[in-house]
Order: sequence, then structure tokens, then C-alpha cells
Amino acid sequence: MSVVHAAPLLRLEGITRRFGNVTALDNVSFAVEAGEIHTLLGENGAGKSTLIKILGGIYQPDAGEIWSGEKRVELRQVSDADQLKIRLIHQELSLAPNLTVAENIFLGREPVRFGLLQRGEMNRQVEALLSRLGLTEIRDVTAVVSQLSTAHQQLVEIARALSQEARVLILDEPTSSLSESEVEALFTTLRQLKAQGVGIIYISHRMEEITRLSDRITVLRDGKTVGTARTGEIKPATLIEWMVGRDIKEHFPRPPYKPGEIALKVTGLSSACVHDVSFEVRYGEVLGLSGLVGAGRTELARALFGVDRIHAGTISIDGKIVSINGPRDALRQGLVLVPEDRKHQGLITEQSVAFNITLPWLKKWIHGLRFDDRGRNEIVARTIKGFDVRLSDPEQPMRDLSGGNQQKVLVGRWMEEPPKILILDEPTRGIDVGAREDLYRLIGKLVRQGMALILISSDLDEVLNISHQVGTFQAGRLTGVYPAEQITAAQIMQKLTGEEA
Amino acid sequence: MKVVRQMIPLLAAIIILLLLFRIWVPTFLTPENMLDLTQQISVNTILALGMTLVILIGGIDLSVGAIVALVGTTTVYCLSAISGDTQNVFYLLLSILAGLGAAAVFGTFHGIAASKTAMPPFIITLASMLIARGCALRFNNGLPIPIGDQQTILLAVGNGRLFGVVPVPVVIMLTLFVLMALLLHRTRFGQHVYALGGNREAALYTGIPVIRVEVMVYLICSVLAGVAGMIHTSQLYSAEPGSGEMFELTAIAAVVVGGTSFTGGRGTIFGTLIGAVIIGILDKGLNQAGIHYSLQYIVKGAVILMAVYLDVRRNR
Repeated sequence: MSVVHAAPLLRLEGITRRFGNVTALDNVSFAVEAGEIHTLLGENGAGKSTLIKILGGIYQPDAGEIWSGEKRVELRQVSDADQLKIRLIHQELSLAPNLTVAENIFLGREPVRFGLLQRGEMNRQVEALLSRLGLTEIRDVTAVVSQLSTAHQQLVEIARALSQEARVLILDEPTSSLSESEVEALFTTLRQLKAQGVGIIYISHRMEEITRLSDRITVLRDGKTVGTARTGEIKPATLIEWMVGRDIKEHFPRPPYKPGEIALKVTGLSSACVHDVSFEVRYGEVLGLSGLVGAGRTELARALFGVDRIHAGTISIDGKIVSINGPRDALRQGLVLVPEDRKHQGLITEQSVAFNITLPWLKKWIHGLRFDDRGRNEIVARTIKGFDVRLSDPEQPMRDLSGGNQQKVLVGRWMEEPPKILILDEPTRGIDVGAREDLYRLIGKLVRQGMALILISSDLDEVLNISHQVGTFQAGRLTGVYPAEQITAAQIMQKLTGEEA
Repeated sequence: MKVVRQMIPLLAAIIILLLLFRIWVPTFLTPENMLDLTQQISVNTILALGMTLVILIGGIDLSVGAIVALVGTTTVYCLSAISGDTQNVFYLLLSILAGLGAAAVFGTFHGIAASKTAMPPFIITLASMLIARGCALRFNNGLPIPIGDQQTILLAVGNGRLFGVVPVPVVIMLTLFVLMALLLHRTRFGQHVYALGGNREAALYTGIPVIRVEVMVYLICSVLAGVAGMIHTSQLYSAEPGSGEMFELTAIAAVVVGGTSFTGGRGTIFGTLIGAVIIGILDKGLNQAGIHYSLQYIVKGAVILMAVYLDVRRNR
């Protein structure tokens, strides 16, 4: 298919999208041509997901224009994107695991005759589709999807997106769960599609993949387009600079570094997802852990807190080896984890703010059958004041608070009896800028008072500017620990993506 | 009180039902008839008290009806085996302990299986419903075991009247109601139950002993079913291995009509009492009004649907 250089297949002009007072996308422009693989690159939170959700008709932009060829279009709902033949493949698999490959691909538009499913017809059509797409890796279309490898499931997902004609195909980190040979198979398919004139928008962190596969690269940072470049004409080092290169250190008040004794020492720790990890944290010190999503940082926290079983290694607190077989043991040893998923692991949303605050401290105000309401209210008041929680009434349900205030409750409630070691997993994810700065300030105060803090965050600026030491995590291993002042965001990014600049 | 205010619609429903049946049945509101009503709801209320805890933590216990039968047969079988023709308080206590012990074994098993394995409580308790029923049928070749006339204490449990007025089962029911209300609303354990039902994972991260709490909840439910079984057996004057069928469903109905959320985390003991009273009034009223039993089922089903629909809508 010859590519006529007229208007691009799909063009975004000045797209802006706000959530509350956070601007996720700020005047972003971006285009994909027919027969082109165009990569979107950016840190977590740079706005990539918001952008593709706008292309999928899931979010609507607050300002800006979308052009399909010569025509201006509005993507008000998913079916609008569908009609323009924009096919979106999400990061998380969305297949029905109990159905077969063919059933999944035809889900919702199964061929029927007299109300009966034409299974043979369906299987034949899917086989034809797979061979047309070159997805010959999947041999049996009657195999149940849950029996396939993750990579093959990913291919089924792609086949489903392409079972209807596609003009634009969007893939969100499709290789995150694939092995090397599976990545090759995927790339072969993508190149075939490209040759057929499909425009492909590809989202990935992996520098090596991007430079090998894509024709053009656009970098997003903080919701803005930093630049677009042809792949052969830009150095990876420049790309990394584009991704991380801002200087906002003044927003992050790093607590002064006055390390005390060793609070926590971990030696050779292994669990199902963590391999041979050793490190130490001192009182009054912040250890930041950076890594790509799925690198094993959260799993390390879970192992330390006793949620996941430890296969090997030792944990020492204050120089003594401790055995932690569950969160209760960890709490007794003065170790607290505030988990990453507020809604599912942190909050009891239906209950009141006061209920959530006092839950760890029931012993302090319930004695047998006696409720010490004054003691309870004092704990609640102390937490609300100490952590600057903004609410109208402590008895209001937890779900009515903003994300930032919920997070302040989840961290602040532990300060009733401050732990020795505090692990915060993505503490600022999804909360607004104001609450974020409050949290930084409060965390800083705790560290100044001598608490040992482990900060897990995908926000490189945050890790780099709050922490005294920065550890890099890759594939379940702690690959290095560096003094924060002697390393730059670009250097960390290189270590995480495995690219030498 | 906040709890009472939430119950106003249900309390209003009770008054409306009472007045409605008063029109149909002129003797409906007489003190004797009302006392009779409280006696009739006692077994179901006690079952529902335990069921409330289980449903609050997001579980279910289908075995309580079979436990009623098992505890009855175990107790009466032991009693007639060791006590013979005379009444002996020590032997009676021993037999009751045997019955309640059997219930406790089942309850502990439910708790451990539900908290330590991935088996859903629905299936665990469905299986043990069959097992408990089978165990009950092992005694006396599956035939009823009559309670001897000399066992006046055991017979009084279901049929006696305190000071000649208040039925003993009602006294037991009210005592257990108060105990359970205190346990759920005035202890750490109660807070743990709400936390567990609201978000199990969050409760775990907060340091709540989730397994211990879950085992306790199922244990309490089974033991309360055992007490209900003792009363029911006494009321029948014999241990019937086939008794208690469908009791679990009436108990669940009382709990949900009383406003406890089926997904856990929300509900009160007081609500369950009100729910049990509503179902009891319907039962008795429809019966005394001479409504054909086929219609009784349909009306009760419709009322349960309506009550839960209104509750779900109110809490959205």
C-alpha cells in the first residue's frame, strides 16, 4: 500500500484536559500518519494514559481539536472512536478467561443462525483472521484463554482489536509481560500492520524497543509535549533528558540529613517476587526506592510487613533479628506500611473517618465493655490536627474525603504512637498538588524527629528530592543504592531502562 | 439514638402490620397473643443474631438449620443414655454441653476453612449442612428421640414461663440479644467485625487478627444455633433429626430485612431483632387470618424483596 502524504490519519491539536485543579494534559499536539509507528514516551503521570483515553472516547478534552484526515471529529463515547476504526489495546488484559480464543474475538457479535451460535463458522473466521494478521503463534482457536501464556493472551487481545478493520491501533505498554521471543513475534505483526497502512501509536518505557521499532517519538512531560523527533535523528540520552529534565527542587523540602543508628537492616531477603535484597536504613534517613511498575518494590514492602511469605534472608530492627509472620508482628516491632492501593488496602470507606483513625488504637479507648468516648475523640482530634486533615465532621464517611485527605488519615493515624520505621508506598499517587506538599512537609517533620522512612514512588522527582539515599529496583532486585545528591534523574532513568547514554 | 432513628421505617412497618392484622383478626393484639408471638419468634431470632455477625463480615452460614437438629438429637440421646428415668442436673448439663460442643466443632471448622482457604463460605456451610444433617440422622436410626416426662428442666427451656407469665425462650432470646448487642457495639471485637466486613485487606494492614475474628464469628453463630436447637427440641417434646429445615433461610431473611448489608460491613443487632419481629408478625398474622399457606409464602417473599429494595435504595 502506497502512502499518500496528505493529512495525517489522526491529529490532535492543543488538547487540554483537567481533573479538578490538576491539569493532566496541557495544550498537547500529536499526530500519527498512515503506515507509521509513533511512540509516546513519558514518565508515569506524564499524561500518556489520559491522552489515549481521549483517543478511545473514554475522556473528553476540555479544549483542543481532533482531526481524522481532513475532517474534524468529536470523540464523545467509545462507539465514536469505534466508528473511526481507532482500536485501543489496554495495558491490563480485558479478555474473558473462561472463553476460547475464538469466542473472545467475536465477543458481543457472535455469528448466529436461528438464534444458535455458529461455532464452526466462528472458528473458521478467526483462523482466517489470525493467518491474515500473521499471528500464527496461536494455533488452536478453541483453546480456553486462561490456558494461554500472558504473551499469547496479549496477541489474542491484539487480534480482537484487529478483527474489525483498524485505521489506528493504540498499544499501551504491550510488552511489559512478554518474553524476548514473544516481543519479536509482536513486532513482526506490528510491522506487517504498518505495511498495510495502519497508523500505530505505541507506548513504552523500554528505550531499546522504542529505538528499534518506531519511526517517530513524541515525549510528554507533566502533561505537555516536549518534542517530536524522527527515531534515527535523536540520541537516547536526549530523550531521557526530555522525559525528566525539569528542575523543581525547591518544591520538595528535603529534610536535613542527620543519620542516626541503623534502624532496619535487611540481608539477602527473598520472597516470591523479590530476590536477594540487602540494604539498611538509619534513623532520620529517607531511603527512596525507584523502579518501573512491577519491578518488585511493593512486593519488598509486603515481605517486610509480613503480608508475603519470606523464603530466605533476615530482617533486623535495632540490631536484633526479628521474625515477622504477619502485619501484627511488624506493628509490634515498630514497622508500619501504608499500602499503595488506598481504596482496596487502606480505607474502610463505608465507615466514618473517626472509625478509620481509631482502628489501630482500639486498646486505648475500649476497655472490656467500656467505651472511653473522650479518649477516642482525643485520638481523632490529635490525628486531624497533627496531619492537617480537612473535613467537616470526623463522623462523616471516609469515602466523602478527597484523596489527599484520605491519605493524610492513613498516614497520620499511625502517629498516635509513632513507629520506628515507616514505609510509604506511592503516598502521593492520585492526590492533588496542595495535599502533596502538605504530605511532604509532614513526612519531613517525622524524619527530623528521627523516624526511618522508606519511600516507594514512581515519581522520579519525588524520590530524588525527598530521599537521602536512592535505591534502584529492577526485576525483583535492588540493583544499587546511591546518595541522592550525587545522582540525577536522567542517570536513574538510564539504570531503570537499561540504556547507556 | 442514631441506631433507633435508622430503624424508624422498620418500626413503622411493625405498627402498620400489627394494626392491619388487628382488622382481620380481632384478638390479634391481646396480651396473650402477643406473648405467644414473642415465643414463636425466639428460635428464629436467636439464629438471626448469630447470622448477623456472619453476614457482617461478608460470609454466610447455611448450616444453622441442620445444627438445630444435630444439637437436639445429640443432647437428648446423651441424656437418655446416661440419665435413664430420673432427672439429674449434672447429667443434663453434661448432655447440653455435648450438644453445644458438637455445634462448636462445626463453627470452628467453618471459621478456619473460610479464613485459611479460598473456599467460599456458601459452599463450606452448604457441605456441612449436609454433614450435620447426616450426623443428626445417625442417632436412633433417624427416628425421633422423645424427651422423658421427668426431664422437667429441659422441657421448661422451651415451654416454661417465668413467674407464670414470660415464656422462658423469650427470656433466653432477650438475654442473648443484649449480650450480642454489647459484643457487637461495645467491644473491640465488634469494631474488628465491622472493619473486617468493610475491607478485609485494610483490616489486615491495620493489624487486626483477621483469622481469629473470623473463627470467633462462625463459632458464635454455630453455638447460638445450638441454643436455638435446645429450645426447639424442648418445644417439640422430642429430638427430631429432620427438624430445622429451611431455618437458615428464615434467619437470613430476618437479618437482611433488618437492614444488614449482604456484602458485609453494615448492619446492627437491633435491626436484626426488628427484622425477626416483622417476619414473625407476618407468619402469625397470615396464619390467624386464615390465609391459605400457598399465599403466605408469596406474601412473605414479596415483603422480603420490598424491605431489601427499600434498604438498598436508601443506602445508595
